[in-house]
Formats: sequence, C-alpha cells, structure tokens
Amino acid sequence: MTGEIVWITLQVGAAATLLAAPPAIALGYVLARREFRAKPWVQAGVALPMVLPPVAVGLGLLLLLGHRGPLGPLWRALDVQLVFTRAAAVLAAAVVGFPLLVRACEQAFAEVDPRLERVARSLGAGAARVFFRVTLPLASRGVLYGVVLAFTRALGEFGATAIVAGILPGRTETLALGIYARIQLGDDREALILCAASFALALGAMLGAEIFLRRRTSPP
Amino acid sequence: MPVLTVLERLARSVRAGAALAALALAAPGAGDELLIGAATSLRDPLEASAREFEATHPELRLRLTYGASDVLAAQVRAGAPLDVLLSADAAIAAQLAAEGLAAEPRALARNRLVVVAAPEIAPLRSPADLAGPAIRRIAVPEHGVPVGRYAREWLAERGLLGRVAPRIVPTEHARATLAAVDQGGADAAIVYTTDARLARHARVVWEIPDAEQPEIAYAAVVLRSTRAPLAARAYVSFLIEGPGRAHLERAGFAPPP
Repeated sequence: MTGEIVWITLQVGAAATLLAAPPAIALGYVLARREFRAKPWVQAGVALPMVLPPVAVGLGLLLLLGHRGPLGPLWRALDVQLVFTRAAAVLAAAVVGFPLLVRACEQAFAEVDPRLERVARSLGAGAARVFFRVTLPLASRGVLYGVVLAFTRALGEFGATAIVAGILPGRTETLALGIYARIQLGDDREALILCAASFALALGAMLGAEIFLRRRTSPP
Repeated sequence: MPVLTVLERLARSVRAGAALAALALAAPGAGDELLIGAATSLRDPLEASAREFEATHPELRLRLTYGASDVLAAQVRAGAPLDVLLSADAAIAAQLAAEGLAAEPRALARNRLVVVAAPEIAPLRSPADLAGPAIRRIAVPEHGVPVGRYAREWLAERGLLGRVAPRIVPTEHARATLAAVDQGGADAAIVYTTDARLARHARVVWEIPDAEQPEIAYAAVVLRSTRAPLAARAYVSFLIEGPGRAHLERAGFAPPP
C-alpha cells in the first residue's frame, strides 16, 4: 500500500513539474528581460497560487474543471471528467508549484549577462538558438533549483488536491492525502509510516538536487 | 563541452519525465477495479472481508475509500467515479437514487449510539452530566454527517442540545469522533457502539437505552456511473447475503430489519 502511494505521489509530482516548467521558464525569462508597466501586477498575480490558501486554489480549480462550473457545458460537451481524476491532482500540484518555478527562473535569467546574448546575436545566432544555447545553459543552475522546488512542493501538495481530486486510493491518493485520511481515521501507525515515506522522498529529492548541482558546478 | 553534457542530461531527464507523465495521466484500467465509498464506521469489517471477496472474484480488485456518508454523496454528485456507496444513513442513499444517480438502495445493517469519554472522566449518572462541569469538549460531527445527526437528535430529545452545543467540537466523520477522544482532543463523544469497541483509551460512560436509540439504518447503493454494474451488485450482495455479513456482525453491526 505504501509503495503504491509513493509511486502515485512521484508520478503526480513529476507530471505536475513537467506541465508547469515550460510556461514557467518562458514567463520567468520575460519577467527577467522585459520592463513593462503591468509587470508588478503580473508578478503579484503569478505569486498568488503560492500565497493563497491551497483550499481556495482548489475551489477555483473545482469551479474551472467541474461539470457544474462556468466551463461545465464545455466539459460535458467534450464528455471529459477531470474532477476526482489523477489529471486533476496533477493540475492542482502544477498550479501551486508554478509560482516557485517562475520566481526561480526569473532570478536565474536576471543573473545571465545580457551582453553574452547580444554577442551571440551579433555572431548570427537566432533568438531561439541564443536562448537554448547561451541563456538557458547559463541559467540552468537556478532553473533546475526551481524545478526541484516545484517538484518537492508538488510532492507535499494537499489542500488544492483534496478539493479537486479527492482522496481515492490507487488513483489520487498521494502521501499528503493518505496521511491526512489516516489521522482522521485514528490510524496513527499507518499515518506515521506514510510520514516516514514522505520524509525519505523529500530528503531524497533535495539531496539528489544538491549533489546534481554540485557536480555541475565543480571545475572539470 | 560541459554545456552540451548538461543539456544532454537535461534532455534525458525530460524524456524520462515525459514517460512518467504519460503514465500518470493514463486512465486506470477499467472494469477490473471497484471503487467503494464507505462510511468510516464500516472500515474494519470491510477491510477484513475485502480479501475474501477478492479471493472469490479473482478478476476484481477492491478499492475502499472512507468518509462521512454525506461527503461521499457530494463527491458522487460532483462526478467522483465511485461504483458503490455504503452510507451510514439510508436517507442519503435514497436521495441519490431519487436524483437518478444510484440504483435502488438495499438495507445493509443497523447500528446503535453510545457515549464514550476519556479515561479520567467518571461514568455519567445521567445524560445531563454532558452539560456538567467535568466535560468541556464533546466531539460530534456536523448535522449533515449521519452520526452527527443521530447524536444531535438524541441530545435534542433529552432537552440537552442547547446546553451541550457550545461544547461541541465538530469532527469530520464517525471514526474521527472516536479518535478525538482517543487522541485527547475531546473529553467525550457520542459514537456508534461499533466504533466504541475499537477505542484505545476512550471508555463507554453511558449506555443509551433501546427506547431512546435513534433508527440508524445503513444502506448500500450501486451508483449509476459505474462501469461494472454486475461486479458492483456482486459486492453488495457479498456484504448483505454473502460472507461479508459475518464480518459486519462480528464488528457489532445488527442485521437490517
């Protein structure tokens, strides 16, 4: 049972991080490189899912994804059921982890000297080539750190997930949800086992990231 | 070229992650799994009998999820993919059937209420002691939760609800109500007799006489959204007429009238 819950937690965390990473990296780059009037508003708006109560995020997602919300007719027409599925758990974790990734990427890109990009452009590289061959590699440490933060945040996501995905064993029950359900049932032993698994997973992810980043930055 | 190796490593991780994501988003195998939503008070007999059901139905796998019956019903209305609901209140099951979300409910079991308290609380001399000085916090779920409604009705009939209400600590469901006393969060609680048997620290401090017992009728319904109606019906009859019955009775549930 614990193994399956750990496996679902890892799947949801990885899928959520992959879903959030491309838009977060793009947005982080724009925020680092462009100045515009609405920028503080965009930054504050992006941070919202991180600072709002997760259950409020969950309610928002429920309204967006549910058959009874404003988009309900669309989901019904498409015959898509998202609420109480693993996809909903992935979405919830992605939304909550997104701000962490954007923030980390913004800082990482801001530290890349724009002159290096201009040199690459002057040597004839296109914008995409400059981004993928110069900017992203130079910012990779900070970006990866953001990815790890978002991933570990996704591993622990509770409030939004419980609302929009429920606690369905074998489908949406992740470690955080499983711990809560067992505390409520008075099953302290199983709750502690799942806590230990959570601890191991979080420590493993952070340790893995530190070691990976250390290898990356050590001189060849 | 360290930059290239980093990119290669990144690309490899991304590919591995994409495979994971595809797995995560894939729909679970249909038909071979029954998702049962059950009142928390049913947890022990259901867990005990699940293996037996799976042994006689090797093509099926049981998934049991527990919650307050009204919350489970709300999840069904929101589209939760449950196959069977085992409700601690027949009215909740009947309501789902009336809304067209469930087949005809079947009577599953009956239960009783009892008052439990922390070990340091003396047995009550009368229910009025619940409003006395020894007990400051009483665990009782909200009115929507079956055990919450039964307990509040019993308190109201004794004329105690008004005086007890300020001390009520609302709990999420039946088993959490017992856990509140076991874990020291509440001094007393009104719980099912089947739950009181499982107490680790809480003790029975007041037996509610037969004449005062509310009508506590559990019901099983097969939900309309199930993709395996035959298997779902087989599980319900396993609980009502089959080997599941003995597990319910061993846990202290009375047979339906």
